Amino acid sequence: MDNQEVLLKVEHLSQHFGPVKAVDDVSFEIRKGEVFGLVGESGCGKTTTGRSIIKLYDITGGNIYFKGQRICAGTLTYTQELKELRAKIQELKKKGGASQEISDCEARIAQLKDEIKRAKLDHHHSDEEYAQKLAKDVEKKYQDLMAKADPQKLPELKKQYQEELRLAKKTRLITQIQMIFQDPIASLNPRMTVREIISEGLTIAGIRDQEYIDKKVYEILELVGLVREHATRYPHEFSGGQRQRIGIARAVVMEPSLLIADEPVSALDVSIQAQVINLLNDLRKTLDLTILFIAHDLSVVKYFSDRIGVMYFGNLVELADSDELFAHPLHPYTKSLLSAIPLPDPRTEKNRTRIVYNALASHDYSVDKPSLREIKPGHFVRCNDAEEAQYKKELGL
Amino acid sequence: MDKILELKNLKVSFRTNNGTVKAVRDISFDLERGKTLAVVGESGSGKSVTSKAILGILAGNAIIEGGEIIYDGRDLLKVSEEDMCKIRGDKISIIFQDPLSSLNPIVRIGKQITEAMLLKNKAGRKESRRQFNDMLAMLKKNMTAANTDLGADKVAQLCKTFDQFCIVANRMEHKYNDAITVAEDLKSGIEDFLFRMEKHQKMDVKASLQRFRSNLKTISNPFFAKNYGTQLSQLGNRLGKVSGDYKKGDKELPQSIVTTLKEVEQVLTEMENRTRPDFFSIGYYKMRNPQENLTSRDVAELNAFCAQYIQKEFLDAFVEAEVKGVAYSGRKAMEKKKTALEQLEKAVPFFQGQYDSKDALHLAKELSDSVEASIDRLEINKDSLAYTFRTSLNSAINKYFRAMENNPKEEKRFEQQTKQREALIAKGKKVDWSVVPKQVYDLEELHEEVLRVVTDLQKHYGKLIARADQVDYRAEGQAIIEFMKDKASKVVYKVTRAIAKERAIKLMEEVGISEPRMRYTQYPFEFSGGMRQRIVIAIALAANPEILICDEPTTALDVTIQAQILELINKLKKERNLSVIFITHDLGVVANMADDIAVMYAGKIVEYGTADDIFYDPKHPYTWALLSSMPDLDTNERLEAIPGTPPNMIYPPVGDAFADRNKYAMEIDFEQQPPMFQVSDTHYAATWLLHPDAPKVEMPAIIRNRIERMNKKAGGAQNG
Repeated sequence: MDNQEVLLKVEHLSQHFGPVKAVDDVSFEIRKGEVFGLVGESGCGKTTTGRSIIKLYDITGGNIYFKGQRICAGTLTYTQELKELRAKIQELKKKGGASQEISDCEARIAQLKDEIKRAKLDHHHSDEEYAQKLAKDVEKKYQDLMAKADPQKLPELKKQYQEELRLAKKTRLITQIQMIFQDPIASLNPRMTVREIISEGLTIAGIRDQEYIDKKVYEILELVGLVREHATRYPHEFSGGQRQRIGIARAVVMEPSLLIADEPVSALDVSIQAQVINLLNDLRKTLDLTILFIAHDLSVVKYFSDRIGVMYFGNLVELADSDELFAHPLHPYTKSLLSAIPLPDPRTEKNRTRIVYNALASHDYSVDKPSLREIKPGHFVRCNDAEEAQYKKELGL
Repeated sequence: MDKILELKNLKVSFRTNNGTVKAVRDISFDLERGKTLAVVGESGSGKSVTSKAILGILAGNAIIEGGEIIYDGRDLLKVSEEDMCKIRGDKISIIFQDPLSSLNPIVRIGKQITEAMLLKNKAGRKESRRQFNDMLAMLKKNMTAANTDLGADKVAQLCKTFDQFCIVANRMEHKYNDAITVAEDLKSGIEDFLFRMEKHQKMDVKASLQRFRSNLKTISNPFFAKNYGTQLSQLGNRLGKVSGDYKKGDKELPQSIVTTLKEVEQVLTEMENRTRPDFFSIGYYKMRNPQENLTSRDVAELNAFCAQYIQKEFLDAFVEAEVKGVAYSGRKAMEKKKTALEQLEKAVPFFQGQYDSKDALHLAKELSDSVEASIDRLEINKDSLAYTFRTSLNSAINKYFRAMENNPKEEKRFEQQTKQREALIAKGKKVDWSVVPKQVYDLEELHEEVLRVVTDLQKHYGKLIARADQVDYRAEGQAIIEFMKDKASKVVYKVTRAIAKERAIKLMEEVGISEPRMRYTQYPFEFSGGMRQRIVIAIALAANPEILICDEPTTALDVTIQAQILELINKLKKERNLSVIFITHDLGVVANMADDIAVMYAGKIVEYGTADDIFYDPKHPYTWALLSSMPDLDTNERLEAIPGTPPNMIYPPVGDAFADRNKYAMEIDFEQQPPMFQVSDTHYAATWLLHPDAPKVEMPAIIRNRIERMNKKAGGAQNG
């Protein structure tokens, strides 16, 4: 992957549900055209990360940039600093004096308040901003056109302009990110036909041309390996693999640039898993997709992904190219995860010893707190100073 | 070769509105004691139906068309529901695929796990006592007959002593084990506590410390007293003192508490790793010298001393007499076997010809009686063929005559209904019913089946008699002693509610449920899917079965937990000599678990072999397809998905069921079912590709490369 253009950037993402820190300070980038794998045991926050990106949850802290635009923003870091500053001012006031410091703090507070306001604005209105921008572009385009057009064609052009403007205003940036869900049975509405399921997104996006929608649905059905006749059927008439194909069709029909695949093959039989993985691989090439692949089956992730992030208890503990990660795992949790992969080889399997990861025994973070650091270009590990040195030694750097 | 479960020619179908679905079509396999058999295949291949047939929990519309499932000398397809209840769950347990439907939604998790332990324990004590007594009585009879020089009184004395001290020893052992259980539980509790303090999770520190203290007090056993008694009580007191250092709301634990807890942990670890007292011999010594205080001695020294004592005083004499008894019984049975064999040989021509029902049943009774008399009642591993001879023969004969009676009726019905239907259609009426397909049995086949039962036993007895002088009666005698020790242990094994709870919590921890104490009182709906699966596994293990059937137990779980649970099953398999039937579609999991593998497709076993055979030398195209559709860590090629879906089993294909989806299929595959070709002693595959006239076909590149890589790795590992 020479392409270095960043499509999605996640900065210090935190997602707390009350006292539960499902995701805590996670940062990574997804480059255009790559498959980014996210692995970890169930409950480590990988699905939550995916859902936060697509705005199914309002994030607690951090920022998410998509195509350079901030689409999600949380206020946690700002509010924390705000609290600290207020406490500091109280203390300073009690002691009396040092008015310089107090005014500094107050200035910072004002700044933070501003930041929070902007974050909230971005989080809630980034889609509208995007739509407005598109609308403006359309307006500009047609102003020129209409000025030059000959008067006879003007009414037609005006109609076209109206239509395009309407669509532009309805466009949402977030629809360029689509999601495939784990359970192909639960994620399809049993009362809708396949046509309705696939075209729902298009209809919501404001397209009224029924012919266009039908054409698109048929195209997509054939693309995912189903046939036109399937369009009028209901989900229960399909097998597991076919249902997952419908789920993929529904996501792909919106022509997304980023696809979040949340355990798309975990619920399927082995033979059907291969069909779905092959399909995703084909789609990735034909549609130029970028995929965030969330899974717990490491052999599949290794086969499918270019880069892999490993999550543990809401933290990203290691991030590297997939070959690099499997060849030189550094974080003890990654090692334990890799040692647990079942392989179709009885000889090695019978001698395999699983490395047990104990967060307590493996790290001493009582003094020096850990953070995600780059040990080698492209290879990040969550560690503190002492561990960083040790990991570097391990890699022979 | 110690078979614990045998499946022979099992056929199961389901009656549905559209016709009869043939779910399992003639499968046979053996499960050996302490081994794992993996059954691999896609969904709908009949794997789960097989497992349900073993447990006798098939759906109401299921028809068992034939076959035998032999466990412990009985055919499970023919035992009464009452007897089946004693086997199901107790001897053969299952982990279901769907955790949602196998848990009771309105009963707390804790109760569901302990239920099996408590119920089974109560029934188990009685049952074990009965088995122990029966075995001892039989042994006594044979010993008296064999040891005429010793005298009946002496033999009775020996047996009585054995009975008495076995019980004493096992009481002591269970007390010791309970103490160890509490210690282990406390240790893991402390580990968990420290971990969660580190992670700043919300919890009641004071209550936890209080619990540790009270648990520490309950760890008491005379065998610990000398080395650890004072140490433990001191630590308990210290823990009481330092726990005051913790103030409510503190984020960190004070150092004093941490060090104390660590010390407790260390002591407990030491206790666990200590040499175990050999209770079998200590029990005897204790019975002889009840006043003496044994616990003041060092354990290793005590073990050696008591072992010698029991040997000299009792065991040598007992074993000598016992082996004689076993040999006597064995030889007597062998004599009877010879007469039974003669009778069987005489009966063969009768069953070859035509016969009527009354004669056949009469002869069958005679044969069964003499076969039954020829069984050595002292053998631990029951000779399944002899034990099931009566039921097999009777049911085969009955089936034959019933078919003879019913076939014409069925033909007539079918003809009539078809005519009726056609007449209606000819009249131009709309017919909304279809004719139920006729169920006619092949008389020829059933006739042969009867003969087969007789000849099978004939061959089997022939082999046994030929090997009569090679039997190792000493080993058999040892096995009987082990068996009785085990039963004696179960007789005195009392599970109280409190112990059941501790065990359940430990089991929950073992299967990877965090905070088991809190979760113990929760309801199933409060658990996530993976967690529920673990509860189901815990319940299946709680009953401590002999055979565990795992029906896709780890499909819904992630890698680490999957690995943990597989390890757990493997560990239990070793500890308890558990035999496992492992049903899955994931070959990666199988490589770790299985000793033998059966690959199933469309209700038949298409390939059978050891794990090495299947993974390093697969022969059937379906096995190839399964292997090549999963990536491993070095796979870069495009995966080869299996096209299409499994066939409709209402109309099973005439030829090889896999032919439609098989790119290597030949013409004959569509016309005729391939037989099982033998590849090696352990390896069989049902594919025409193995026929000598078939063209040579290479397995797909993706598997070939993988096998090469694996071989290279293995070679490299040996050299390096």
